[in-house]
Amino acid sequence: MPTGVDPRGPRFTAWATSAVLVAVLVTGWWPLLAAQAAVFAVGAILGPRFSPWTPVFRAVVAPRLRPTEEREDEAPLRFAQGVGLAFALAGTLGYALGAPVLGMAATALALAAAFLNAAFGFCLGCQVYLLINRLSNKEVGTAR
Amino acid sequence: MTGALVALGALVVAAAAGLLIKARSGRVRAGRDTAGRDAAGPPAEVLAALDPAAAVTLVQFSTTFCAPCRHTRVLLADLAERTPGLAHADIDLTDRPELARRMAVLRTPTTVAVDPAGAEILRVSGVPRRDELLAALRERLPAQASDLR
Repeated sequence: MPTGVDPRGPRFTAWATSAVLVAVLVTGWWPLLAAQAAVFAVGAILGPRFSPWTPVFRAVVAPRLRPTEEREDEAPLRFAQGVGLAFALAGTLGYALGAPVLGMAATALALAAAFLNAAFGFCLGCQVYLLINRLSNKEVGTAR
Repeated sequence: MTGALVALGALVVAAAAGLLIKARSGRVRAGRDTAGRDAAGPPAEVLAALDPAAAVTLVQFSTTFCAPCRHTRVLLADLAERTPGLAHADIDLTDRPELARRMAVLRTPTTVAVDPAGAEILRVSGVPRRDELLAALRERLPAQASDLR
């Protein structure tokens, strides 16, 4: 079953994403955040194999690592990229429409999530999926 | 300048949260009284999943969007196979938010150890630590289980 991706690829992407988001916060240059939103959109809609960071990982990082049999499902990664997309879009609108506080807040949240993934392998977007699901299904069942 | 400080703040908060999560993840915690929460007793899904012949069933709650759930599944299935009196079941919560609420599951994987009546003994969030989990369940399991690692 050749589905799934080398889990170190998304970790590398998370480091790259963290670096981009730090640059956005330091410069406040919203086109960079808009570009990051586009990258998130590709990862969410087409999957991590189509992320622009994947060729970089394959060419530069993967040859230096030992091959691994470990594979990770794409579904959680795509969901997390979708969460990142929502924050990057909110941040871009904030910066571009003259609300830098919104821009910074949304970017900072996205940075915190990306860094948690990069440094600890903890996928916040994946973990809170249940919580989001619960909140969006309030009508399910009666009050208990 | 403000932006740089905000970036630094986000990284510090994320690092602190990461260390906290790492310390808590996989540790055995006291069971919640999920069965006694309402008169209905343990949820029907849990009762249907548990092995009535086993002293303890490890009921794992997973979602589709969850990579550590797969690691947990492999680990617990192996543990149940090697340990007499221990069974393993996996319940997908992806489309069952109501069950997640009743079992007080906030993140996946969460593993809830139940007795044959469905009463909760203990729970673990994240990928369980094999030896710690076995040690916590030892007195519930048949005696020969203590000879195995």
